[in-house]
Amino acid sequence: MHLHPFELHRPTTVEETVRLARGLPGGFDWLAGGTDLLPNYKMHLNVRPHLIALGGVDELRGRSGGRVGAMTRLGDLERDSEFGASYPGLAEAIGEVATPLVRESATIGGNLLVETRCFFFNQSLPWRESLGYCLKADGDRCHVVPQKVKCYATFSGDVAPALAVLDARVEVAGPDGRRSVPLLALYDAAGDGIRRTHLGPGELLVAIDLPDSARGMPANYQKLRVRPAFDFPELGLAAAGRIVDGRVESLALAAGGLETYPRRFDELTGPLLGERLSEERIRALAESVRLAVRPVHNTFLAPDYRRRMVAVFVRRAVARLGSVPGGTAG
Amino acid sequence: MSAAEPPREYRLLGGRIPYVEGPLKVTGRAEYTDDIKRPGMLVGGLLRSPWPHARLRAVDVTKARAMPGVYAVLTGDRYPTPFGVLPITHDETAIAVGKARYIGDIVAAVAASDERTAEAALAAIRVEVDPLPEYADPQMGLGPVAEPIHARGLAGSNIQKEVVQHFGDVDAAFALARHAIRVRGNFAGVTHGFTEPMATIAEATPDGRLTVWSATQVPHYLHRALSEVLGIPMHRIRVIKPEVGGGFGGKSDPLPHEIVCAALALETGRPVKIRFDREDVFLTNHGRHPTQNEVRIAADAEGKILAYDIQAVIDGGAWSSFGTVTTYYNGVLAMGPYRVPNFRYRGRRVYTNKPPSGAMRAHGGTNIRYSVEVALDELAEAVGVDPFDLRARNALPPHSTTVNEFRITSTSFRACLAASRSKSGWDGKFRKLPYGEGIGLGAGFYISGSNSPIHFTPKMPQCTVHLKVDMDGGIAVHCMQADIGQGSNTLLAAIVAEVVGADLERVHVIRVDSDVSPVDLGSYSSRVTFMMGNAARRAAEDLKGQLLRAASELTGHPVDQLVVGHERIEVRHRPDRSVSFLEALHKAMEKVGALTATGAYSSPPMGGTFKGARAGTAPAYSFAAYVAQVRVDAETGVFQVDHVWAAFDCGRVLNRLAVEGQIEGSVHMGLGQLMGESMNYRTTRLMNPSLLEYKILAPQQMPKVDCLLVGEDDPEGPFGAKEAGEGPLVATLPAVANALYDAVGVRFYDLPITPDKVVKGIEERRRSGRAWKGE
Repeated sequence: MHLHPFELHRPTTVEETVRLARGLPGGFDWLAGGTDLLPNYKMHLNVRPHLIALGGVDELRGRSGGRVGAMTRLGDLERDSEFGASYPGLAEAIGEVATPLVRESATIGGNLLVETRCFFFNQSLPWRESLGYCLKADGDRCHVVPQKVKCYATFSGDVAPALAVLDARVEVAGPDGRRSVPLLALYDAAGDGIRRTHLGPGELLVAIDLPDSARGMPANYQKLRVRPAFDFPELGLAAAGRIVDGRVESLALAAGGLETYPRRFDELTGPLLGERLSEERIRALAESVRLAVRPVHNTFLAPDYRRRMVAVFVRRAVARLGSVPGGTAG
Repeated sequence: MSAAEPPREYRLLGGRIPYVEGPLKVTGRAEYTDDIKRPGMLVGGLLRSPWPHARLRAVDVTKARAMPGVYAVLTGDRYPTPFGVLPITHDETAIAVGKARYIGDIVAAVAASDERTAEAALAAIRVEVDPLPEYADPQMGLGPVAEPIHARGLAGSNIQKEVVQHFGDVDAAFALARHAIRVRGNFAGVTHGFTEPMATIAEATPDGRLTVWSATQVPHYLHRALSEVLGIPMHRIRVIKPEVGGGFGGKSDPLPHEIVCAALALETGRPVKIRFDREDVFLTNHGRHPTQNEVRIAADAEGKILAYDIQAVIDGGAWSSFGTVTTYYNGVLAMGPYRVPNFRYRGRRVYTNKPPSGAMRAHGGTNIRYSVEVALDELAEAVGVDPFDLRARNALPPHSTTVNEFRITSTSFRACLAASRSKSGWDGKFRKLPYGEGIGLGAGFYISGSNSPIHFTPKMPQCTVHLKVDMDGGIAVHCMQADIGQGSNTLLAAIVAEVVGADLERVHVIRVDSDVSPVDLGSYSSRVTFMMGNAARRAAEDLKGQLLRAASELTGHPVDQLVVGHERIEVRHRPDRSVSFLEALHKAMEKVGALTATGAYSSPPMGGTFKGARAGTAPAYSFAAYVAQVRVDAETGVFQVDHVWAAFDCGRVLNRLAVEGQIEGSVHMGLGQLMGESMNYRTTRLMNPSLLEYKILAPQQMPKVDCLLVGEDDPEGPFGAKEAGEGPLVATLPAVANALYDAVGVRFYDLPITPDKVVKGIEERRRSGRAWKGE
């Protein structure tokens, strides 16, 4: 297994990067931390002749208040105690990504756009060849849900749900200039494991902007996986909100690791705003979130179990946000 | 780590001896096979079958052969002689002949100037096949099948080996029994997960010799297989074993790629290297057999064992490997540490179209031990007796014989029970911890070396050690024992230094090289400490005798008045009258030059005369009693093992550092199999051939481990020692399973115990209306 030859480009400004991206024949990939892209390249997964390394673009790095450059290393954010105190749920999510060593290279932007995963996709070339490939790379069919139209590869980032519940926005730069969009608007809920974002050709993430309301907001993140290190999420559930004396002032839930994109459940949490929480209401909320998600069997743990854990995690998440009956603090 | 260490009577042995090669390893200077480069070396590449079972109609290599930079392309017909680690089951070939038998089977090989050219050449090979029925489940192969995977399958089936044994009268015992327990276990296949992927280099030279460097646990068996398949006499082949980064049984067969590499070197006249990536390692496998077993235990009213009735069906994958031994071990390794007066066993190993299973740490003893120890936990509950008391009641006494004629000499099993019971605070915890927390006991029993060498013709010792000392005073030690990270080089050096009174730094263990290393059969079946240790001691005693005779000449005192001190030989009770090590050495060298000394170990005759009587016989056995304490999140099923009290009998401890390392590593490996490791197949396709999706235990999951080393001297072990490499694994799994039962009231019979199974088990128990510990 070795990397195919590619040309590496190292721009230093966002503008130069955008310009560069326009003129590369045969396509390119952004190279952020490389912790996911390069292993995928070794498996010959959708390789491109050009890589644009973003590590030399100063504007993309570092944090200033609620603005975090897309190329900020997860390890740097982990060591940033002021950041951790301000955004406790986000800090939990970052601390759960892969391993400490990976987090020294991996970036926050890379985690938001991490490639979707599937047992039939994340395999070597000979392995995939022996099965006739799949929709997401080199083939024309899906082996998870046998058909030829939709890819079910799972969104596997930890950070996106934790940012989503804080109403984070992202700044995107591209050929048409810059725009700021709510984080979840990046992801294509009508797409699939292949068509997964609304980023246009040559568009890149510049920064994540956390609103003032996010600072100090009670929030948490729970991750389901076989091992407490290494593994991608089989379910990641983020929660944020204020529950005062059992009454919901604000509440947001978001999940990753279940479907092809991360999502929030505002339609399920919305009706609880201003309401008093009871054990019954929390259970009903947990059950409604469980019923709303549709994991498939393309990761290590069975989809039935992952769905059931959604309900457990929702109960625990809400319990941690405010001292309420019915949840066991995890 | 154990708190108090007993006083010891040896200068080095019994202490904590850091590995002699440690400084090289931790600074990256140790030389592994893949570090070696030879001038003009080519890259060997393997074309693996994408078909689970297929007849090879044509393998067209014309295009590949014509490519620039391609030096050789090989297909199965060039070296078709079958081989295998056991002389009775030679069913492997270097490259598939006639059929491909699993996804990953080697169907062609190339030697090329570089990796890219090799890959391009492999891609240019055209293979035409007729697909054959695939057999994924051993149950499919128990009767006649349309296309047996091997012609040697029993009566047209895929059964590779069937073992039927009966000692005493099991049915009569069950008829008399007050209690009968039945446990059915199902175990996913697991693989070794060693650090260093396999690598081999071969070089044929114009003097008619072939040199092979390989990451192997069994240089001698590799030497034999190379000779047999390539048709070259052994004396013209030189096998070198560089440092090896772990094996755990995964490098204890001569493997096809090793033969292919040598064949490519012969074809091209150039050195050739084959190096594996992790997927190659998974496809080569030879890991623990996927197993379905059933254990029935009959006992009297007090819980005294009357009989075992055991069945096992084990999934062999595509080749035999050690499978005949595995089939026996899945029954007979249930023989200790308890007295079992009646015993019946039927074991079948079945070929499937999957990567071959083979020997893996605590080979053949792990899965059966799990089912037996879980059954005994159930028996203790049925009888109403503490699990410790039940086991003590049934313990095999020292110097006894089992019903299948295993010779038991030393056993400190009762001391193991006493130590883990008291240190764990068992009596205050068992069934007394809150719901979700639990404590459990599992015992262990394992061979300290297989008494039968795999090759018993010609008749030879199991191990020979040679020493050479020249005027520089350095002691060179030659032996083919394979240090694979377990510390055998260190032990070899320490035993020699201990006996002759030398500093450890005087002793140099020479890299395994068949041109100079006398034969040792290899690192498997936990044989090295016991067998090499005895051979080394004898060689060192030989050298010591030569030094004492020289010292006698120098001091004028007869040999029986002399004793070895540290770097000197002293007159007994007259420490003022002494000669230094070098003075004695130089005197001894006057007439003969450099000194040489030799020692060997042959296993004593033992075992019954019935068919298969040798399987499981060992010159000694290790014993264990482990207690594990767990915490279960009953809602998610996620559990953490917090603490393991590992009471182990390896006889006398020779290197405490190494023994503790083996125990901690064994706990880690055992927990891996219990909590997450599994070769996941969809039919015959391995879904997780990577260390990301094959769930070896993460560091945070590792419990605190207390090593309680309570063994007494074994009468035949070197300085009283027995094995500590494999026995420490087996007790881990049932101890945790029984702790889970104590925590949440659920028995688990299906490994690995992933969180979803815990949740399901708790739910089923609740549905049955059974509450647990006031939950």
